Amino acid sequence: MIALTLAVLLAVDRPVIDLSGGKVQAYPLAMARPLGVQDAGVAVQSVLSADFERSGLFKLLDPASFLAKPTEGLTGIDYTKWQAVGAQGLVKMSCDATAEVKCDMRLYDVTHGVELLHGTYAAPRAGMRQIAHRFGDDVVKYFTREPGIFQTRIAYVRETEAGKQIVVADQDGANPQAVTGASINLLPAWSPDGHTLAFTSFRDGLGAHIFSVDAVTRQIKPLVLMGDFATGAVYAPDGLRFLFSASLDDNTDVYVSQADGSAGRRLTDARGIDISASWSPDGKRIAFVSERAGSPQIYTMAADGSDVRRLTFQGNYNQEPAWSPKGDLIAFSGRDEHRVFDLYTVATDSGKVTRLTQNQGTNEKPSWAPNGRYILFSSTRAGKRQLWETQPDGSNQRAVTSERLGASDPAWGPLPSSK
Amino acid sequence: MTESLPPPSVLGLQPRTPLAPGIVLAVLLHVVVFGAALVLPKFFDRAPPLRKPIIAKLVALGKPRDPHLLPRKESPPPAAAASPVAVPSSKPSSAPAPRKREPTRQELMQRALARAAGKTEPKTEEPDPERAGSATGSPQGTAATAEEGDAYFTAVHDAILENYVVPSVISERERLYLSASVLAWIGANGQILKHEFEKKSGNAFFDQALELAIQRTKLPPPPAEIAKSLRDTGVVLNFKP
Repeated sequence: MIALTLAVLLAVDRPVIDLSGGKVQAYPLAMARPLGVQDAGVAVQSVLSADFERSGLFKLLDPASFLAKPTEGLTGIDYTKWQAVGAQGLVKMSCDATAEVKCDMRLYDVTHGVELLHGTYAAPRAGMRQIAHRFGDDVVKYFTREPGIFQTRIAYVRETEAGKQIVVADQDGANPQAVTGASINLLPAWSPDGHTLAFTSFRDGLGAHIFSVDAVTRQIKPLVLMGDFATGAVYAPDGLRFLFSASLDDNTDVYVSQADGSAGRRLTDARGIDISASWSPDGKRIAFVSERAGSPQIYTMAADGSDVRRLTFQGNYNQEPAWSPKGDLIAFSGRDEHRVFDLYTVATDSGKVTRLTQNQGTNEKPSWAPNGRYILFSSTRAGKRQLWETQPDGSNQRAVTSERLGASDPAWGPLPSSK
Repeated sequence: MTESLPPPSVLGLQPRTPLAPGIVLAVLLHVVVFGAALVLPKFFDRAPPLRKPIIAKLVALGKPRDPHLLPRKESPPPAAAASPVAVPSSKPSSAPAPRKREPTRQELMQRALARAAGKTEPKTEEPDPERAGSATGSPQGTAATAEEGDAYFTAVHDAILENYVVPSVISERERLYLSASVLAWIGANGQILKHEFEKKSGNAFFDQALELAIQRTKLPPPPAEIAKSLRDTGVVLNFKP
């Protein structure tokens, strides 16, 4: 029997065509008119629509084209009417609002006519946006099997007349709250638990030093007061250590320190500047910028400073590496032959460099979303420097902030589950 | 008086049928079937060996980019050149001047809809003066480098690829290892007669997208020499995102 099966298999000689590179297209999703209390429902739906639009995952269908009755409930859905307008997924909600807003949120598979997700989400009226973010994250997780980032927060530097202050906001730029005053505060970096931000400040008048601020109480503590130039703190994935750069004896090097700023130890000692360190997601390697070969290029090294390898060989000014949460890419900004900085990624295994921005002002300071699906960066493409986001292939670029005098130095916070 | 013999014990030794001839026969049978399967197809009508389809891209006109520079994004081909403007001439011309083409009803409708929606007409994109390519490339080229391509299977590949849409809700990480194989039978008129999954991907959204791609694909009729094979034996479509 085995021989017979083998014989049959061998006898059938079919040509084989390999297909790859299908067009990646957003999933067509309809969002039905909310039921129940309209002002709350419309407000939640508006935030949810914006989340889905920004995600690049979904193509929201025009409500004007919908054929189903606006009064259609959460059950007894006529899926043929939704199929007819091209929907593959359908979101419905019914909200009730008293002191708090409570929404029954549902996701349906229109193609197969089944309910996929169903939950009740509640929040105080002032925090109504969180209902949309939480349901949005659940929908993203259902489809992608990866956590969504709608509940995450970002930190950045806001330009003010009095200086530069560190601001914390929702990932979509909403609810910006200053957590420092406005001396000169730069380069915020989140601790992995999302409670603390390290940042560089000239606040003590003795040069650039590293401080930390509690994201809730806004209490500020000094972390590194070494020499007259210590900057660019970035926490390890385990939160127990952080990297920074400091200048001692006319040489700028990368250092590592305990989370409280103690036991600082130098990791690099090459001639020329070593700066802008970034951890790999497993905490075993570090990407950094070094001028040891004559021009700033991206290098990696083991967490103890050994095994230094050069990663970029194209361009003559590459800086600000940010290691992706998936570990396969390092985003950086590089200066091209027109002396303009743009965003690029370099593959950590092959060294292949891919350009993400081009002919759109100056683009710098990449910071990855914790699920690796988006990169936040600063750009001057619309005049004042503001924060923008892109997908790692350079698609779906959108503005995030609209600060009056500008915004820079973005840092994307951790997922809420690790808060 | 004769004593009747006791019935044979079930535990006792039974006379054994020799197995060796049966085993030898079975082995011989397998060898014959196996050999026939290998040899016989050579005597029947078989499709000629097929080359793997290779995608051809039109090489863009431009200078090869210095490998030491940071890369540029591949730019789209420049828009078609505008038709030359007729210069008024004092000389009488025997041929009537070409009339400007009137917009079609569909074009007028699209413009009206765009105005109603508050959209402006799309701007013509300026050609990128630094487009990388080959000195002997085409102004309408789509890539900086290209490879040779050929055969009916390239047409099949391209036609399916045209309809091959990967839902963006599938994570990039999952896209790295997703794969599925579909067996498709193609009729003499190019119609996909039937298809079935040889191997599903394990992701319902991906498998659904492949079904849609195959259902939407219109193929050209296959050449006569492979039509029978494609109708009876089919073709294996290996999909990866």
